[in-house]
Amino acid sequence: MIRLLARRLAWAVFVIWAVTSIAFVVNNVLPSDPARMIAGPQARPGDVARIRKQLGLEQPLGQQYGSFLRRLVHTGPTTVAPDDKEHANCATFGPIHLDLGRSYQQRRPVVVVLGERLPRTLWLAAAAMLAQVLLGVATGVFAAVRRNTVWDHLAVGGSLLGISAPTFLLGLGLQFLFAHELRWLPLDGYGLTFADHAVCVVLPALTLGIFGAAFYTRLVRDEMIGLMKRDYVRTARAKGLPEWKVITRHALRNALMPLVTVIGLDLGALVGGAIVTETLFRWPGIGALSVTALLDRDGPVIMGTVLLTSTAIVLSNVAVDLMYAALDPRVRK
Amino acid sequence: MRSTRRQISATGRLVGVLTALALLGLAACREPLEPPIGAAHPGETTPRRGGKLRLASIGDLRGALDPATSAEALGRGAIEIMFAGLVDYDEAAHVVPDLASRWELSDDGLSYRFFLREGARFHDGEEVTADDVRRSIERALHPSTPNPWASLYDMIAGYDEYTQKGAAHLAGVVVEGRYVVSIHLHDKDARFLPVLALPTLRPVCKSAGERYSDSWAPCGAGPFRLEAGGWDHGRSLTLVRHEGYFRPGLPYLDAVQWTYGMNMMTERFKLEAGDLDIVRDISQADVVRFQTDQRWNPLSVFEPVRSIYGESMNTEMPPFDNVEVRRAVAAAINREHYREVRPSAVTISNQAIPPAVPGYDPTFRGQEYDYPAALEHMRKAGYPYDPATGRGGYPGEITYYAYRPGLQEYTAQLLQQDLAKIGLQLTIKLVSFPTFVALAYRRKTTQISNPGWTEDYPDPSDFFDPLFDSSAINEDQSQNSAFYRNPRLDEILARARHELDETRRFALYGEANRIVCDDAPWAFTHNYRFYIVHQGYVRDYRAHPVWPENVGKTWLDRAADAVSSTSPGAAASWASLTGALSRPSGRRASH
Repeated sequence: MIRLLARRLAWAVFVIWAVTSIAFVVNNVLPSDPARMIAGPQARPGDVARIRKQLGLEQPLGQQYGSFLRRLVHTGPTTVAPDDKEHANCATFGPIHLDLGRSYQQRRPVVVVLGERLPRTLWLAAAAMLAQVLLGVATGVFAAVRRNTVWDHLAVGGSLLGISAPTFLLGLGLQFLFAHELRWLPLDGYGLTFADHAVCVVLPALTLGIFGAAFYTRLVRDEMIGLMKRDYVRTARAKGLPEWKVITRHALRNALMPLVTVIGLDLGALVGGAIVTETLFRWPGIGALSVTALLDRDGPVIMGTVLLTSTAIVLSNVAVDLMYAALDPRVRK
Repeated sequence: MRSTRRQISATGRLVGVLTALALLGLAACREPLEPPIGAAHPGETTPRRGGKLRLASIGDLRGALDPATSAEALGRGAIEIMFAGLVDYDEAAHVVPDLASRWELSDDGLSYRFFLREGARFHDGEEVTADDVRRSIERALHPSTPNPWASLYDMIAGYDEYTQKGAAHLAGVVVEGRYVVSIHLHDKDARFLPVLALPTLRPVCKSAGERYSDSWAPCGAGPFRLEAGGWDHGRSLTLVRHEGYFRPGLPYLDAVQWTYGMNMMTERFKLEAGDLDIVRDISQADVVRFQTDQRWNPLSVFEPVRSIYGESMNTEMPPFDNVEVRRAVAAAINREHYREVRPSAVTISNQAIPPAVPGYDPTFRGQEYDYPAALEHMRKAGYPYDPATGRGGYPGEITYYAYRPGLQEYTAQLLQQDLAKIGLQLTIKLVSFPTFVALAYRRKTTQISNPGWTEDYPDPSDFFDPLFDSSAINEDQSQNSAFYRNPRLDEILARARHELDETRRFALYGEANRIVCDDAPWAFTHNYRFYIVHQGYVRDYRAHPVWPENVGKTWLDRAADAVSSTSPGAAASWASLTGALSRPSGRRASH
């Protein structure tokens, strides 16, 4: 198990390095100028050139990449003094420093910007995942049990609609119904207190949840239909177990195995930020930040979000692998 | 058989449910607007103090709130009310005294002496003095400051020495007493006062220091100030009244709050719910709804038009190196079709100066749609085209760059159709805005594109100098995107820069306008204007020709029990959740 973990972690580090390196190159070879985006489209060329120089963008790409890697993880003082300019942009983990540079646009350390945004995205990701698992599993089981009835068709048709409908459309519909018409929930935002956050997360989490649940519904339904025909389920019924126990204890438990993989992958993607949903609901998370950074060609923030997203996805994959290994001895072999 | 019938029946029911939902959605979209909330004391004209004005924006404020570095339109509104300048623009775009009670211009036109108001205070309570004015100017123009506007001030004496040769001070800025400061120019320059009224050189508190630092907490002498925690990055900005503001009694508002990153529909919903006071980002469909709603129409206004858009033709690349082809393009474009893409926001343009900028001549015809004339210009260019047979025209293909999202996505197709009628075949390439900026202003790269220009300061020079003067040509990042060079025009523009008599100066720009319209480096197409809607209780709010938010004299007259619904507070949400399904009732205007 330890060897498996070590192998997976080594592979994860390589993948993260590869993704960030590709992102760095792509971001820097695009025909656009971050200094121009800072100065605005109407600034004079001389002023833009001065800003470009101040940002160090005139250095060769290789030199910029080397500087980025050297700075990314390094060692330094455990606590950074306020006047320590060399480590002013660092997040410290004891003597280990993580330095993603300073945002071109916001003129603040990227680790600070990400530190503000990450908890909000994690909160939304957790709520959305809860919504999509509960909705998806419940509807999938229901459809499988009521196979070929109108309820099954509604569930399958509804899931098709959920997968097909763009999230922005779904979000707008929910906003219109629950915020504008019924006025039960806030239209958007994040709020100031924990109670605010709890209320504000409902609509964006539902938007993501319905979208994700549609896929889960079909997955669970199909698995359940297959499992309900298996011998051990028939045996359970023959032993006189109530139907709900047969479904939940025997069929559902096994039907959830493939779901674990999908949940792991989805969770990683959600931590990377739900770009459309965060933008629509003015949720100040990683997704909305990524959009702004891309439009601004804010290199340090782009690299920060890429690093964060790839780490989240890779680590969630590692977690899924380990979970599988724990659940299924065959994988360990 | 039975199973098939059941399936058909189930499918039918499913289709029925989905149809019903779709119809419900459509009905919801056609719902009339909620009425605006009226003033509590409609007959009263004496301003009342108090209240927080709530604004929203589709964009996010990203850059620092520092007048020396801000380049964003969003930040401009906030910086304008946080930092008072020596001079400002009035509602007719004229330069008027602000922190300086008056100024004198020397006989040779080279020196401006500003007399500061005594007792004017920064947000931290310190008095604003001439030393602060000089320190702030030197801080803003220092070469270590990422100032995107620094070179606008290159007319100040000693600018080159200070910014490029390491001089310790800017020689042209001289303190002549605690409340008197002089600014010397190396040449007469009519642009000086208009650019001085921009936020860039406005005095900042002593806490800003001598040199720029991005960790500084914004502090100025304007009517509103930023409190600790007032700027929640990526979400909102709240400014509160500066009690020590030098204009007695002003401002009337307790606070101004911007919420950022709100989409257009949410802004509209919040305005209707009474959760926003003024809205500026409005979809095309909603502009029509507000305009046709008799209750909202009196509470809405179009902002003055301060930008121009046009098809910029690269005069160094064929076929646009031929002036007759450019003239043909200018005559072939049916600008009315451009207007119809977004009729509520787009107005037709036929010249280089937009209507809100002093010097604009509404009687000047400039460039106009004239199809026979366009065909004649193509013949003169050596590319005769026969519309009946489709034969002739320019044999090569022309690449047209446009960016998305934006109006250009649609106008590009109109241009393609119009130019096909005179024998010019366009290939449209849609790119992102940063890519467009990189390509459209690079030499020998883009044959034709549709850039725009929004006033930086309200003066014709802000349009002619960067867009058409040959000194604005650059290998890369060329503001003169047509790479247009005309010695006669250069000479007129140079004379206009040094001409301090406004009548003679505007006459020179009139001449420049005629040359540019005739030579057609740009085919001017349209202007863009914003539509603003506010609640009835928002009083004395007027659109300004320069500033996006003109709230210095705005006041609120909202009844205490006027409707306020859900967001952003969750408490209100729960209250409404536990209340009823019905809409809350409250006082609303019935006009």
